[in-house]
Amino acid sequence: MNVGAELLDLALRDGARGIAIVGTGKNVGKTVTTRALLEALRGTCVGLTSIGRDGEAVDIGDALAKPRLRLEPGTIVATARAVLPISPASEILETSDLMTAAGPLLYARVRAAAHYELLGAPTASGVRASLEQMRALGAETTLLDGAVDRVAALAGGDDAIVVATGAATAATVEDAIEEARALVARLMLPKVDEREPALRLDGALTATMVADLAARGEKRQVVVCDPTQIVLSGKAFDGAMRRLTLRCERPLRVVAVTAASIGRDRYFEPATFARAVALATGLPTFDIYAGARAA
Amino acid sequence: MNPELLIDETTAGALDAAWLLRAIAPCGEYGRRADAASAPDARAIVADASTFDAATLDALQDALRRAPDIAPALARAGVGDALDDAAFLELLRFCDAWLRARATLARHDRALGSDAAAAACISLVSLLGPGRAGTYGFYLDERFAPELGAARARTQRAQAEFEAARGRSTQGIARALGREEIGELEFILMRADAPSPLPEGLRVVREAPTYLLCECELDDGALAALTRRDEADAALAQAERVVRETLTARVRERMAGLDEATAAFGALDAHVGKVRFAQTYACVAAEEAEAGMSFEEARYLPLLDELAGEGRAYVPISLELPGVAILTGPNMGGKSIALRTCGFLALCVALGLPVPAKRARVERFERISWLGIAPESESGGLLSSFAREVVRLREILERPHERTIVLVDEFARTTTPQEGRALLIAMVERLRERDATALIATHLAGIAQASGTTHYAIRGLRGVPERPTDGDLSHALAALADAMDYTLAEVTADTPPQADALALARLLGLDDALVKAAYAALG
Repeated sequence: MNVGAELLDLALRDGARGIAIVGTGKNVGKTVTTRALLEALRGTCVGLTSIGRDGEAVDIGDALAKPRLRLEPGTIVATARAVLPISPASEILETSDLMTAAGPLLYARVRAAAHYELLGAPTASGVRASLEQMRALGAETTLLDGAVDRVAALAGGDDAIVVATGAATAATVEDAIEEARALVARLMLPKVDEREPALRLDGALTATMVADLAARGEKRQVVVCDPTQIVLSGKAFDGAMRRLTLRCERPLRVVAVTAASIGRDRYFEPATFARAVALATGLPTFDIYAGARAA
Repeated sequence: MNPELLIDETTAGALDAAWLLRAIAPCGEYGRRADAASAPDARAIVADASTFDAATLDALQDALRRAPDIAPALARAGVGDALDDAAFLELLRFCDAWLRARATLARHDRALGSDAAAAACISLVSLLGPGRAGTYGFYLDERFAPELGAARARTQRAQAEFEAARGRSTQGIARALGREEIGELEFILMRADAPSPLPEGLRVVREAPTYLLCECELDDGALAALTRRDEADAALAQAERVVRETLTARVRERMAGLDEATAAFGALDAHVGKVRFAQTYACVAAEEAEAGMSFEEARYLPLLDELAGEGRAYVPISLELPGVAILTGPNMGGKSIALRTCGFLALCVALGLPVPAKRARVERFERISWLGIAPESESGGLLSSFAREVVRLREILERPHERTIVLVDEFARTTTPQEGRALLIAMVERLRERDATALIATHLAGIAQASGTTHYAIRGLRGVPERPTDGDLSHALAALADAMDYTLAEVTADTPPQADALALARLLGLDDALVKAAYAALG
């Protein structure tokens, strides 16, 4: 089956113009998922960026080889000027004052197929600005590659979200499934019920605030702007959901999960892993390496 | 003029100097750099404010805003580094913006920069023009060098040959595995689907209980094609490098002209920001006074802007301040704003800017000092309000005192009236000894008389305004503003004393019985 086409169909069926791929950690198949989506989008103008760094040849952490992004002509990228390939030359569309970890960001159009490294804006406003700019430059669909620790940069967007999970970041298969479930649950926080009383928070919801609110027996809906404003780990989030009625103003739309059963140091039985993730998240789940949907 | 010597933080805060700096700010990096070193000419600014219409200023500021900062590119080219394509785009856009601004100025018979600067920009546009791509992009096009086209064609051919060879190399494996093709060279093969033995050319990278992570090995033909592709890629990279180095050398030849162009652009940006300010606020060039200041219908712009935002009118003021003067008046009558107006005009003149007034003569002060109730955040948190004021006065008096204006807002109002009055009289004497200009606002009576100083007063309420029936404070303030005469008038022996505080208290909702009792106590 064509996983990219399936993901694309799920993501774009409600009119979204962009897809964000959010990983539960490093090396969980984000780049492979992105490649599958790029393949499915072949022939259209795609804009591509990342929250932070992606597509590098080797892992900055362990110096091992990583899957790379070979982009086709016509693709628009928003990446740090410092990491744009010198050759083959790209068409430079726009320089910008937005800063990445490696200096200013620029927008370029791929002229000849080549491997690109994406190093995008690290902030929510920078990410939104670069996605908008790529659309203004002609991108029909945008892809955003990002990790869970940078999920705040999704704030304010209307992209469909694909969660990537895998064996790389969890010690056991149960932990990996739990990570995926907790992240999906957090990102899919329900919308506030306007008919019910609500306590609206200006900023982020932290563990300390949860403890304070629970201690004083808060019964109203506790409302954050969007799910990226919840700064709680998986277990802490579960605890908060049990003790409080957490809601958000602007829910995010998670449409699917990809499961990478192969990690650097461990592997899980692919079909069982994907099936368990699908069951835990309630979302269509795909084994990105095997090219199969969890039954 | 060093702004830090001209005003300290307290004074800058009291006068809202930040507002002024924002109002005259250049719109680009060139202007910001030029602004620090420029010596503005108020007359030239005012002249251009009447020469250029708003559309011209818009066009100039649009060009200035769009011009990328090419200083880093010029620096890199200057030390011999080859420029990247983004730098070529920035240079091209800079020259486009520069030439657009030059054409706009030419319509008003005004020049931008030297002929050398213009020549550098025109020739750079011609040099980099073949790289224009799409709406406004840059690409290292084959028109720069035909060799680029040939090298690109070779890499495309080599890539196609490699893909074909790889396809042939992995075809047998795909067939043996029952797949149409092998996409990535590394892939997963479920054990249940794996033939035994594995097809030739398939290597197992990792074994799992249920699957194998496999990698296709390329045959000799595919490996040779891969080598040819890598060589073609390297040849293309070399061809592109040569073109970039050639273009960079040509940029380097135009460096002096481009430096002049950026300097001219910076000066224009710094100037246009001030022209926009003068035009927006109908400013005039102040005449230089030997000492002190005088002005007609001056406005304190930060407040004017705030009131305009609320749809409220601003009443300009006029004043003669040849040396030290005392200012009295009712609460909310505008004493502090009169002080700020003096300080704001003094600041404008010191910075070489025109002033927001109908007419003005102002000394070019070298130091402007504000003495008022210090904010709690200032040092000396354990000191009382009065103690902080005294420390502040000491600091002001310790500074060099040539060409100084001191603006005093109700100094010593929190100590005993007798001692406060005595301190103010002594301070007036000290400031006069120093030939300082000063406006001293106070509620303490008899200072001007005792020190033989000019005395101004805000005229105050034109009558007793009616208290709004709804008790709304904003309505009371509007009634107060309508009833207040903000004019500054010199006080003579015949001027009757003002007693607006009790009327104000009533207007603001204090109960009638208490206000009546206060009037009775006043006699």
